[in-house]
Amino acid sequence: MRKTENKALRFTRIHLENWRNFTQADAELQRRVFLVGPNASGKSNLLDVFRFLKDIASVGGGFQEALRRRQGVSRLRSLAARKKPDIRICAHIGNDENPIAWAYELSFTQDKQRHALIKSERVSRNGIEILNRPDEKDQSDPERLVQTHLEQVYANQEFRDVSDFFASVRYFHIVPQLVREPDRSVGKQNDPYGGDFLEQIARTPENTQKARLRRIVEALRVAVPQLVDLELERDIKGAPHLRGKYEHWRSQGAWQTEEQFSDGTLRLMGLLWTALDGSGPLLLEEPELSLHPDVVRFIPQMFARIQRRYGRQVLLSTHSPDMLRDQGIGLDEVLLLLPENEGTNVRAAGTFTEVKELLAGGLSLPDAILPRTRPRNVEQLSFSFVD
Amino acid sequence: MPSDIRLNISGAVEGLVDETVIRRLVREAGGSLDRVYGRNGKTHLKRDLGGYNHAAQHAPWVVAVDLDHDAECAPPFCRQWLPQPATHMCFRVAVREIEAWLLADREHLARHLSVAILRVPPNPETLDDPKQTMVNLARNSRRRDIREDMVPRQNSGRTVGPAYSSRLIEFAETEWRPEVAARQSDSLRRCRERLRELISNWIPE
Repeated sequence: MRKTENKALRFTRIHLENWRNFTQADAELQRRVFLVGPNASGKSNLLDVFRFLKDIASVGGGFQEALRRRQGVSRLRSLAARKKPDIRICAHIGNDENPIAWAYELSFTQDKQRHALIKSERVSRNGIEILNRPDEKDQSDPERLVQTHLEQVYANQEFRDVSDFFASVRYFHIVPQLVREPDRSVGKQNDPYGGDFLEQIARTPENTQKARLRRIVEALRVAVPQLVDLELERDIKGAPHLRGKYEHWRSQGAWQTEEQFSDGTLRLMGLLWTALDGSGPLLLEEPELSLHPDVVRFIPQMFARIQRRYGRQVLLSTHSPDMLRDQGIGLDEVLLLLPENEGTNVRAAGTFTEVKELLAGGLSLPDAILPRTRPRNVEQLSFSFVD
Repeated sequence: MPSDIRLNISGAVEGLVDETVIRRLVREAGGSLDRVYGRNGKTHLKRDLGGYNHAAQHAPWVVAVDLDHDAECAPPFCRQWLPQPATHMCFRVAVREIEAWLLADREHLARHLSVAILRVPPNPETLDDPKQTMVNLARNSRRRDIREDMVPRQNSGRTVGPAYSSRLIEFAETEWRPEVAARQSDSLRRCRERLRELISNWIPE
């Protein structure tokens, strides 16, 4: 029962203050989120908030560890912040019917000895507050403020769903060469860079594995229509290999192993496997890399169909006009990251009247939004080298 | 020579659904759609049409475009877009959108979308906005997955749902019957005829 409930949960809103290059940002989040912006506008930094929450809530993680992985509070704090204000993160979790089923808020700073300290931690469920720190115990023992309640099993009992939800976030940035040469990443488990992608498939119970591979073939059919079957087999050394059956109009069909798959196909399979593996929010960094533009165009549709089935949220960063060309991408699903002097602004494409008018006049979505995400002083870049 | 050697044809279309439809029609006419250009909407297609026409002096080409509301009917539209089609250019116009060609196979579309056949309008070429008709049909689907894939969410600001094209591609690829649809859509009937002529009259240079 609880599982299906969890499945539909997603991040519905994120509010940030002084987080990396976001002095202040606030955005509603749909089931699919496309982060679009120039280089260094903070697409990865925005995705990193969700990884940060995951790191706090995960086994082996925690608040201090999550900060250590990011080299401390001062590295996280927005450069645009002149004083040394608190970093604040507020996330809403829910679904379409109840967008604020949960609200989690955390603000923190560091003391003079550069120790990270929690300034406040709040949790509410359906608008009713169930945690508000610092409380009396924190005041009498400030040492408590080095840990969140989120990370503590005995303290988060009332909001375990939030903790489980954060821990279920997954980050993915597959590199095809690593899949081909797994030696480079021996021993890594759940490697976000795809090093153990084939091992992950091999570890999955056979029935689930077969069902997922079948769904991947189904999803791929729109882009790779000749692929009719996919299966996992082991070589004499026991190493797993993927092989796919292609249908050719001349022959009975032929099997190919992953060495023969194009980098693009392999990457796409990795993407789809990950999308099917787990139910928490999925963070994808530029999934278009190394894919043919023709295939990239199908990514939004593939995710839409997988999502409809499993309700899983996907947040991805992209530079690709081909990805954004899909007519089914909602204007509320596209977040534009717009660098300003005081840090990067985040706005949904649909909040710009001009974007709507350009679309109504026949422009495609990338043609309507990408000029906005062009670095403002791109023509001055060449001068800055001369200065 | 084996009998299954097919004539390779180059093509240019507005989008992905159009590509699938044209691919199907070329295959059916005995050819094979080899390279596909465009797929970036109508404006880009119009811009590059001169190039496609130039190439069609020496090789078979098919270009398909939606009439939309650019003209009352196809002939003035063709004169405006392509006054002098090259020898091997098959320039076809869908009245008013390629969706009308899919709507024209009423029985199979109704089955594919899980709607009553009576909901599928009988004269697709008279429709003002076939894409909207398609979306509205999906809205009435008995299947939730079809509604969620094809109908836009309330605040999306778009005219179609998140997996609209892949649903139509699936239909055009599998269940759609061009020969049945051509009885309901004159522009489709002509397209099939011209493609057949293009392929059967082809003499390699």
